Amino acid sequence: MSSLEADVLVIGGGSTGAGVARDAALRGFSTILVERRDLADGTTGRFHGLLHSGGRYAVKDPSAARECIAENRILRVTAADCIEDTGGMFVSTPWDDPEYGDLFLEGCEATGVPAEEIPAAEALRREPRVNPEIRRAFLVPDASLDPWKLVWGCARSAEEHGARILPYHRVLELEVDGDRVVGAHVRSEHSGEDLRIHATVVINAAGAWAGQIAELAHCKVNVRAGMGLMIAMNHRLVHMCVNRCKRPADGDILLPLRTACVIGTTDVFVPDPDETEIRQEDIDLLLDEGEKLVPGFRQARALHAWAGVRPLFEETAEVAETRDVTRSHALLDHSAREGVAGFLTITGGKTTTFRLMAEAAVDAACLQLGGPRACRTAEVPLAGSESHVLYQIGSRLAAREPVPRAEEIICECELITRHRLEDAIKQRDTTSLDDIRRLLRLAMGPCQGGFCIYRAAGILHAGGSIDQAAANRTLLDFLEERWKGLHPILHGDQLRQARLDDWIFQGILDVEHLPA
Amino acid sequence: MNDVIRDSLDHCVKCTICESFCPVSQATPLFPGPKYAGPQAERYRGAGPSPDSSVDYCSGCGICTQVCPQDVKIAEINSRARAKVWERRGIPLRNQLIARPTVIGRLGTPVAPLANWALHNRAVRTVVQSVIGIHRDAPMPSFAGKTFQRRSRNHHAAPGDAPAVVYFHGCGTNYYEPHVGEMVVAVLEHNGFRVIVPEQDCCGLPLQSNGNFPAARTYVRRLVDRLAPHAREGLPIVSNSTSCGLMLKREAHEILGIDEEDLKIVSGSMFDLCEFLAGLHERGALRTDFQSLPLTVPYHAPCQQRGHGIGKPALDLLALVPDLKMIELDVDCCGIAGTYGLKKEKYEISMTVGSRLFSDITATGSDLAACDSETCRWQIAHGAGVTAVHPIELLFRAYGLDRTSRQGLVAAAMRSASVDG
Amino acid sequence: MSYDTLVVGAGIAGLTAALRLTEQGQRVLIAARGVGATHLAPATIDVLGYLGDARVESPAGSMKALLAASPDHPYRHIPADQLAASLTWFTARAGTLGYVGSLEENMLLPTALGVPRPSALAPQTMSAGDLRAGGRFVFVGVKGFKDFHPALIAENLVRAELSQPVTARAVELEAPPGGLGDLSGRVIAGRFDDDDLSHWLAGELVNRTEPDERIGVPAVLGVRSATETWGELERTLERKVFEVSTLPPSIPGIRLYEAMARALRAGGARIVHGVRVVGAHANDGRIASVDVVNATGTVSHPIGSVVLASGGFASGGLELDSFGVTRETVFDLPLIGVPTTERVRFAPGYFDAQPLARAGVATDDLLRPVDAAGRPVYTNLHAAGAIVGGAVPWKEMSGTGISIATGYAAAEAILAPATLAVSEAVR
Repeated sequence: MSSLEADVLVIGGGSTGAGVARDAALRGFSTILVERRDLADGTTGRFHGLLHSGGRYAVKDPSAARECIAENRILRVTAADCIEDTGGMFVSTPWDDPEYGDLFLEGCEATGVPAEEIPAAEALRREPRVNPEIRRAFLVPDASLDPWKLVWGCARSAEEHGARILPYHRVLELEVDGDRVVGAHVRSEHSGEDLRIHATVVINAAGAWAGQIAELAHCKVNVRAGMGLMIAMNHRLVHMCVNRCKRPADGDILLPLRTACVIGTTDVFVPDPDETEIRQEDIDLLLDEGEKLVPGFRQARALHAWAGVRPLFEETAEVAETRDVTRSHALLDHSAREGVAGFLTITGGKTTTFRLMAEAAVDAACLQLGGPRACRTAEVPLAGSESHVLYQIGSRLAAREPVPRAEEIICECELITRHRLEDAIKQRDTTSLDDIRRLLRLAMGPCQGGFCIYRAAGILHAGGSIDQAAANRTLLDFLEERWKGLHPILHGDQLRQARLDDWIFQGILDVEHLPA
Repeated sequence: MNDVIRDSLDHCVKCTICESFCPVSQATPLFPGPKYAGPQAERYRGAGPSPDSSVDYCSGCGICTQVCPQDVKIAEINSRARAKVWERRGIPLRNQLIARPTVIGRLGTPVAPLANWALHNRAVRTVVQSVIGIHRDAPMPSFAGKTFQRRSRNHHAAPGDAPAVVYFHGCGTNYYEPHVGEMVVAVLEHNGFRVIVPEQDCCGLPLQSNGNFPAARTYVRRLVDRLAPHAREGLPIVSNSTSCGLMLKREAHEILGIDEEDLKIVSGSMFDLCEFLAGLHERGALRTDFQSLPLTVPYHAPCQQRGHGIGKPALDLLALVPDLKMIELDVDCCGIAGTYGLKKEKYEISMTVGSRLFSDITATGSDLAACDSETCRWQIAHGAGVTAVHPIELLFRAYGLDRTSRQGLVAAAMRSASVDG
Repeated sequence: MSYDTLVVGAGIAGLTAALRLTEQGQRVLIAARGVGATHLAPATIDVLGYLGDARVESPAGSMKALLAASPDHPYRHIPADQLAASLTWFTARAGTLGYVGSLEENMLLPTALGVPRPSALAPQTMSAGDLRAGGRFVFVGVKGFKDFHPALIAENLVRAELSQPVTARAVELEAPPGGLGDLSGRVIAGRFDDDDLSHWLAGELVNRTEPDERIGVPAVLGVRSATETWGELERTLERKVFEVSTLPPSIPGIRLYEAMARALRAGGARIVHGVRVVGAHANDGRIASVDVVNATGTVSHPIGSVVLASGGFASGGLELDSFGVTRETVFDLPLIGVPTTERVRFAPGYFDAQPLARAGVATDDLLRPVDAAGRPVYTNLHAAGAIVGGAVPWKEMSGTGISIATGYAAAEAILAPATLAVSEAVR
């Protein structure tokens, strides 16, 4: 079995793990990151993309609110390409107690979250689709964050500073020598080969799966998995992040995420973070809540539904509802807790504060790596964000001007050119269309791959990286994977689309009778 | 509040039917096609400035919306996106000018002979092209010298309690083709109607298609103010310009977002001229004392006529005329698209778009063609070298009104005095 | 103008019914929201390609087994001789498109993924792709035309289940001069019509293909003059050339639409796009007039007969709302293939059997939609095409076959002397 060595081994490729890897690499530690699936395939890639201003926590969790506004400001500078400055709004619909608005303003004032009340008419001028019966409205600096850009930006930054990022490497065992963790034994999902990684410090950033990883070192990390459902709507019904001005509950956020907008979310405890079945009643709940915020929501086109799992760390056993468990993060030094050295867990938290969590974890790791070193992640921009220019929704469209069809456009919904696709295939060294999807948003538009998946499979195959059987398989796998997010919300326009796509894949291409 | 036009993008299933019909995207690489510029690009247009300007090459013909099986308001989305582009850039003088046919009309009419000479003088047109940007070969009509409005003041309708109909003649008839207006009145009167010609101005369509929505709304409201009182009395309003008629029937509401009761009532009372006459025939109220008109004439239904969704009533009417053989052409667009083909940078595109129509007309061997829209007629005359008439002219002749009516003589005189475009 | 029959929908089912009625002297109005699925589908006439998982060799020979397995299938209303007559009629009306094939045996034509796909009839520009006789094939792609991947086609084809062996390889040409980076099938087809590309293509192929190879090109050889272009290509190259259908837009489908629309116009029928049929007024169970919404508002057309050819979910003839309720969108007719006791729930596997796959109207033998008791909802309303329930055409490969068969049958039912007599009496 081959082996690698590093100062730091990070387990988990979500925002936390990628953030830790970047921070460690920037501080000059040799770093390896392993993730059992694709980067950001866990919680980070499945949240709604809200870069919190802190308004949501201003009343209920003031320390979280303070953390959020501080990180919000930092990320706008260091992760500009991942962030669209949509702005945010809290609105009091007829179902919300208008007096909560006063609590809200007080909470924001106390926690340093900038909040400004505006007349309802002004709010409706900015967001004409919002319920005309809203009574109060407040502006806050929420923004829309692209989680894949964020995670890949961190991963590339880490690589630029010498780190090795290894997606599709599953941890089988943690190597324990006496009272310390000395590394991990991982398996590559693609090649089936095993790999031993020796590291001075192992940082468990496995999010909702942190408990499972900790067990491998006989440590106890009680992470509750709170499943949250989200539905992407086909186009931006709102251009700002719109929140219900009330105590946080289900379905009270509607925000833009690239070309779509997302309604979320729910909160259901699940015993296994890998078992997330979408229930019809949760779909209906989100559609109904959406209708309160945006009349006509049920006639709008629902594009895709998915469930993410929040990691909610708890020290004590009894809590009423997972939503009440703290959203602040927890840094666990297992040498202090269980006498197991060389092993840290960083869990809980939210994507908005990932950088802060990573800083805390690497600060703690420094103590076992020869002494403190300065953290630079609040100043150094992510790979891809060096220009400090915030993302603009029209950028892919503007990039095609003045002669839009001058280059082959493979995914027309998301305006992905052949060049970009081929670059991504090379860069990722991947043969999976799903990996490309996460990197480029391939097949994430209205047609959900109806047109582009055939093209992309053909291009992958023509490029020589896969043979005909693998090309067929990746196409069929993609159709199955895509269906998971389609069938729970298939009605109206999206059902029309799905049926047209059936005609294309089955009726025209006859994929069901591809050779084995 | 729902934005019906923008929200219709949800219905797009990317089927490409609109793109396979779009004549402009087949004629130039500068326009990426209606699916691209409409429902697809709209998802990228946020609250800020427009990211794309290629949508300006959309001609607004509206074929895409007509053929879309999913009710996406493609042309309307494009129209609004184009207006946003121009709102930011500032509308150039040329577009401001050609968007106001009444201004041009009022300037040119008093000096018609001179203006006509200038408009058809190559040297002058070359200067106009480089200074203002109207292509020197773009088809321009001729000023008639005395507007239809003025002429109609002199017209004394038969008194009595004949049923009334209101005539919305449009700028084309008013400044350039008053003889067509005379024929319309003659045919309506022949069928027992009293024709009311209210004072009226431009419907604002060229302002809309050139992206000046606020000015377009002002024009619409002014026109609607004139027409609404008649509509409230239950009178039908007929229009011989299929584009202007469509503007009041649908586009003023859908594209400009005008929602007032007055517009609704006017829209509901608006008829295309041939639609109105065909309706009379269905009720058995149309005079069918047609004489033989032994001609073979190709007929082109303008894009905006098809946008009415009324079929081709011109053909249904002309089928009643003995010995008249109409050839239904199947080409979609002549290319002029209102003011689109006048523009220096779009003229070639418009001529490419129309080329199939021109050659199909030529292939019939006829030196006459029929078409309901004045700008299309001017383009057809220019591109195919034939005389292009409104279908009403064939009915007028078939009724024998060219010989028996005063209008006929007047019309004939005007026709021979005018210089063909 | 008054019309004898109003046809709702301009897909192949609607066009078939309308053309059959028109040529028998009826005045027909086609009212459609837009253009139909003909622009999207391959334009082969697929009567029956698969029965369950098994490939069908003879559609005529498999009808009995089909109807035994799917008693609600639309074909049960079509007697064998009428099915044959409708295809013969269609072949004649499609004129220079030159459809070949038969009900007795399916051709096997390669898809753009290299799967042998059964079809009963195909236009002559495609028929040389028939894989049943085996042989040597070469597939030709063009740089910049993203909807055709010859290498994948060839490699899948050589591994396909075929009774005679085939060899296949791929060739990729550089983009023709004067085009854009992103080539559209419609624009390429237009250039072939303008005689701009045939010379280029022939020149490229003559040296890169062998005399005994059959050449598969994407289906873009033109709209107006495709048959001539294809014929000339074969003559110049002295090889067999065939078009392969790919993603929409379907250029062969556009040709078919144009041919039928031309014939309809010549016969005096009227096609109106961009309008919506929203309901009917009936007396004594018989539709007296149909409401059509156009730019002004709603127009009521007095009518003798109606053919509903509005398509399935993909075309908007059926819709499922967010509460799980399925509706027929024009006349609100009763439906089969729709769960009645519980909410629609799709199966988690993409290729699993899915609810609503067979949804549509049930009809009597005159193709008239019926209610749960089997009575016609309206005595003069007929249905044709994908709106008729009981089939899963994209899996069975039966879409265009059902459309033509039911469209023709609906027209014949309207033209039947008994029906006409009633029409006249009511008038």
